[in-house]
Amino acid sequence: MLLHLLPHILNGLALGLLFALLALGFMLIIGVMEVINLAHGSLFALGAYVALAVMSPDGGLPFAFMEPYYALPAVARYAIALVVGPLVVAVVGMGLELCLRRTYGTDPLYGLLLTFGAALVLEEVIRAIWGSSEYFLPVPRGISGGFIAGDLIWSTYRIYAAAFAAVMIGVLWLFLNKTPYGAVIKAGAHDSEMVRALGYNLTRLRLLVFGFGAALAGVAGIVMAPIWGIRPVVGVDAVIPAFVIIVLGGVGSFWGAVSAGILVGLVVALTAAFFTDWSLLSMYLLLLAVVTFRARGLAGKSSVLEA
Amino acid sequence: MALFEARGLHKRFGHQVVLERIDLSFEAGSLSGIMGPNGAGKTTCFNVLTGRYKPDRGSVRFDGEDITGLAPHRIVGRGISRSFQIMNLFDEYTALDNVVIALPQVRARGFSVTHALDADTEARDRAEAVLGRVGLRGRERTNVRSLSYGERRALEIGVALATEPRLLFVDEPTAGLGTSATGRLAELIRELKRHTTIVMIEHDMRFLFALADRISVIHWGQVIAEGTPDELRENPWVRRSNLGGLA
Amino acid sequence: MDYDVKQTTAWITAPILLSFAVFGTLPLWIEAVGLYHYLGAEVLIWVIFALGYNLLLGYTGLPSFGHGAFLGIGAYAFGLAQFEVWPNLWFCLLAAVVVTGLFGAVTALFLSHRRGIYFALMTIAFGQVFFFIASKWTDVTHGEDGLLNIARLPVDLGVVALPVTGNVEFYYLCFAVYAVLVVLLWRLTNSPYGRILRAIKQNETRVAFVGYPVRLYKWSVFTLSCAVAGLAGGLFAMAQEGAYINVMSLQWSGIIVLMVLIGGGFVSFWGPVLGVVLYFVARDILGAYTETWLLWFGLMFVALVMFKPQGLAGIWQDIARRAVARRKPVPVAATGAEG
Repeated sequence: MLLHLLPHILNGLALGLLFALLALGFMLIIGVMEVINLAHGSLFALGAYVALAVMSPDGGLPFAFMEPYYALPAVARYAIALVVGPLVVAVVGMGLELCLRRTYGTDPLYGLLLTFGAALVLEEVIRAIWGSSEYFLPVPRGISGGFIAGDLIWSTYRIYAAAFAAVMIGVLWLFLNKTPYGAVIKAGAHDSEMVRALGYNLTRLRLLVFGFGAALAGVAGIVMAPIWGIRPVVGVDAVIPAFVIIVLGGVGSFWGAVSAGILVGLVVALTAAFFTDWSLLSMYLLLLAVVTFRARGLAGKSSVLEA
Repeated sequence: MALFEARGLHKRFGHQVVLERIDLSFEAGSLSGIMGPNGAGKTTCFNVLTGRYKPDRGSVRFDGEDITGLAPHRIVGRGISRSFQIMNLFDEYTALDNVVIALPQVRARGFSVTHALDADTEARDRAEAVLGRVGLRGRERTNVRSLSYGERRALEIGVALATEPRLLFVDEPTAGLGTSATGRLAELIRELKRHTTIVMIEHDMRFLFALADRISVIHWGQVIAEGTPDELRENPWVRRSNLGGLA
Repeated sequence: MDYDVKQTTAWITAPILLSFAVFGTLPLWIEAVGLYHYLGAEVLIWVIFALGYNLLLGYTGLPSFGHGAFLGIGAYAFGLAQFEVWPNLWFCLLAAVVVTGLFGAVTALFLSHRRGIYFALMTIAFGQVFFFIASKWTDVTHGEDGLLNIARLPVDLGVVALPVTGNVEFYYLCFAVYAVLVVLLWRLTNSPYGRILRAIKQNETRVAFVGYPVRLYKWSVFTLSCAVAGLAGGLFAMAQEGAYINVMSLQWSGIIVLMVLIGGGFVSFWGPVLGVVLYFVARDILGAYTETWLLWFGLMFVALVMFKPQGLAGIWQDIARRAVARRKPVPVAATGAEG
């Protein structure tokens, strides 16, 4: 019985690592600017839609004239999507940060309302451009499909997704801990005033970190797209696990986010294994449970979330 | 028996022990001071004594009754009040409305949907009296945002006073005040002392030593010295720390 | 940014009477301006919902982003009461109010010690959970098909039963409910209870430290706003002659937030009314030209949050204040005492 669960566990791992990537971007933004970005999920969704436009001539955009482009091999287009997608999302994210500047120093309620409004606007923009129907992201043949091993059906894509996310997380860790830029970001997350006192341009740092966090969301969205499907409401479904993860893992803890991410992914995947209808709902129930029982006594920036 | 007693208070946040075996007692009618360097645990101590945090161990007794772990609003109901170091006012309201809301008679009608608060002259008179005591006469109808820093500090104490407490906790009232305002504040505290038991955290040593009957020194989460101002002047630790240059 | 602090002791004020005049005569002029009676009922129903919702958002500062769920629960409760218990208008409306209020009361138990982002995300989660239950519990709610054939029950006054099946008669029923509710809510927001709510929005900690049981206030205002949502939901079920899950979705829960802030719910009791009216005007007039009118509404929201969170009512107040100042110049006030 348990063996049959293995593919689901792989699914959970893939979901979890992608959630962790999403949550890490979420966390970086919180760290350096004390803003809970409710639009983070919409940025995730936008990544998937941009990838769709890059990958597929039927991707909702009137790019039929770009036939020679779409004749390129899928792998090339996918590689382009993985670069263009996060870039576009990063730009949108930075635009959002510029809008948020007006709410700094005011009641945090307004920042919250702004990101909420931004999430709604992003969803409407997506609907305006791509419509409300569900799309599927075409991926290169090499990473799609499945295979049978040990009497079980495995999804090649899930393996690729888990590996990709793991690599991205590793690269992110190296960036934060082994590069001078990463050190500034970490310092800024810890004490933004001090960073400013040390002569760094805090305003520019915030802008770049927001863009960077958004890009991470965009990448996660692209890789998640074949698993979750591409629909406008995917944005809301994405911000919930991000939040659950940082509550569980602790704001500011890198590996806390990763382990919490894997846990959440497993919960969602195993729920899907037994009660297919309930898998998305399980995330919402998880949030209710986690906030009810765990949300006291957060180490570090509890003040951000309490506000 | 003292009016207010804390025994064996212990509080940790995560891995950090912030308060360790704190014993404090405050006599009715006295003004007790709490001093110590930044990060020593003074404000945390206040927060535990006034119900903002629950202590991990230890007990807090007021007038013989155990109030350990009670919610802040219940502690206020027993007759304890506090002002805050970082000002905690209702920024959209006038000075008068800030005080009115704290009056016990208004609180008693807190769930009333018919009582006309603006026509309540008794409440307004009481509130104006409180504002008069803290030196804000004439500024009743001024919005908090238009008050000067010193006026807001005075209002901060005024709001705490309005609850008509028997014991008032005051957290660093002189923070950021200039000399003349500090002098006025000392006068106010001296006047309040005649009717209310006061416990005060302060950094300004001259201010504290001039007003306090007894002082506790908290450092690294523990009470390391306790006594009258004269006794403490001789205390080797206080002298070595050279706090505030008490010659 | 706050409401007119001078709270009146009056039960009925000039703006209330003005709203009676405008809404009371609506069926007489609505068609002359190119609109239709049903729109009037829709507007009033959402006005009722929005006024109740603003108690939470504008007055107490609690961001509930899942409130559409309660409108839906009210609609379903009304329909089920009609089909399963007693097809009497008063009973069914009462059922809608009580059932939704109960859902609200239980939800509020999880929320009453929270604020800000925790509060917001919990309300989103609850909204989604209720939405999910409504779409899956097909035995009771008929899922995506909706609860159909909900009748517009006649106004049973004992001696006579007035039918409200026609849009004009139904509109007047909505107006009657609105008239009673607006007076009650006006009194509530101007009472000591309302003053504490506003204080909680400004400084929740201090409210506790001057002796108020803040959790109880937050719990009660949430429950109350849900009860009002239930009332609106009952009327909504009659308006649509059915109860559907769509209004329980996150998108609709978001729209009420937009309406309330854009209208100026943060600074005026009437803000929600303005916001609802603007929304429906945008929908019907702008919507005739473009399918993306909701996007523009959302952009308007974002722009207002950035530049004028006081919303339309705030802009109106600014204009009124400047007009008054121009008429009577005020001497420059003496500066305050030295700090």
